[in-house]
Amino acid sequence: MRVLVTGVGGELGTRVAMLLDADRRVDVLAGIDLVPPRRSIASLHFTEVDPRDRRRLLAPVREIEPTAIVHLGVYEPDARSSPRVARERTSANTRTVLGAAADLGSLDRIVVRSGIEVYGRARGSATVPDESVPPDPTTPFARSLLEVERLAAEAGAAADVPVCTLRMAPYIGARVPSPLARYLRLPVVPVSALADPTFSVLHVEDAAKAVVAALLAGPDDTVNVVAPGAVSVWQAARLGGRVPVPLLGPEWRLVRYLADLAGAPVPDHLLELIHRGRTADGGRAREILGVEPRRTTRASVEAAQRSDTVPLRVVERSAA
Amino acid sequence: MSVAEALGRRARGDLEIDPWGCDAGAQDLVDAVLRQVIRVSVSGGDHVPKKGAALVVANRRFGVLEPVAVGRAVRQVAGRRMRFTGLVDVAPFGTPLRRLGTVVNRPAEVASLLRSGHLVGLPLAMQLNSRLRAGNLGPEDVGPALEVGAPILPVAVIGGEVTGRWAVHIGPPVPPPRSRGPLALADAADATQQAIQALLDEAFPPRWPWS
Repeated sequence: MRVLVTGVGGELGTRVAMLLDADRRVDVLAGIDLVPPRRSIASLHFTEVDPRDRRRLLAPVREIEPTAIVHLGVYEPDARSSPRVARERTSANTRTVLGAAADLGSLDRIVVRSGIEVYGRARGSATVPDESVPPDPTTPFARSLLEVERLAAEAGAAADVPVCTLRMAPYIGARVPSPLARYLRLPVVPVSALADPTFSVLHVEDAAKAVVAALLAGPDDTVNVVAPGAVSVWQAARLGGRVPVPLLGPEWRLVRYLADLAGAPVPDHLLELIHRGRTADGGRAREILGVEPRRTTRASVEAAQRSDTVPLRVVERSAA
Repeated sequence: MSVAEALGRRARGDLEIDPWGCDAGAQDLVDAVLRQVIRVSVSGGDHVPKKGAALVVANRRFGVLEPVAVGRAVRQVAGRRMRFTGLVDVAPFGTPLRRLGTVVNRPAEVASLLRSGHLVGLPLAMQLNSRLRAGNLGPEDVGPALEVGAPILPVAVIGGEVTGRWAVHIGPPVPPPRSRGPLALADAADATQQAIQALLDEAFPPRWPWS
């Protein structure tokens, strides 16, 4: 199996590459991203490239002729990039890498990272949607994820290969630059005074195992990957010993500005999570992938609260 | 555990809230109060499964306290907590209602609860004029139960908000429809409504003026 992992410089990408590095079924392992992987991976052929630079991005794809693509190069707004740049990178990465790979003729499977954000949180919508619920994105990140799903489905149809779409809960863990984890680690955590919704997360280690299982199984399916259980926003703040501060509405604008200054920007999808919650039914993961998240949402939140650091947003570099 | 200790644990975030937003501790606390306020007599309690999912469909007049009476009845006979559809998903009402087990009335929401093995209460359409007639039930409402393979329990609720006395009659599970596809839903919905009407008829036998 010749595997190309996009987004290999992120914590999830690095963990996936490490698992694939140790797997004998993988003959060639290549990765591309803006930044190198977090750890040294012996067999990885890494190419450092900004996804918006299409010409440079095409070269490694054509050179490697992958039989499998693990597309993790989906950039969450305010994780490492600003919302606009994250959207541009995600779109360009998906279109270029999957499009080029579909043209090569060597491809036999695609695994795509998406998120449960695609279900949206419109008023009256199902709180715990399963995969049969039609996506109804209500934030820019959710729309970006849905575009990734659509492009992956198009590439899969063009190459006539199975596409496994993993709709993950927000993944957190040590060294993951998660806007949610940063927010919950603020000394005082602004919460809604009118609602205390529940959300689920996914530990990055479980996320990586799910990605590898999807790659090896190669199903043509869409699967929610969500840690069991849920916590409320207020509860998540208290589990880390933080002080929740209830806010009514207009002051959120100021809070977002101050949180940005404090290094914990609040993108739209995080604001939605704080006010409306975010969970999904991950019951099919075991059936389709053969694995299911081991850590509960509460254990994952507690682990993230205890971890030493959550990487801050990096200063943008312009595309070449 | 003392009350102060329990509150202290909650203040530290040490509590269990499920993905639908329900807090079993809060549900139990409210039930302990309700037990003192309303009296519920139950028949057919054997039909409530001791474990596993079921869709509990009940009639209603105004629809405010009927779910409370059904929830109390199920606790009484099976010792199980229930969920009820009919959440008003608007702040600030949404969160407290969710904590007590209310969920939005969406087939996907009911299906997710049934898949997780919960007892889900679903009301028929309101019948403001008569307590003798079972309201309508939409075919799409029973879809989740057929999809998951959960039994549908018909329930007749009779009583009054004023007196605080309720009678809850629980019928045997509605037989699964023989037809398939969209017609199966309509058949199952009709059969459920008829089963509830039969329970109501049994509770209020027709009386002639001269009898």
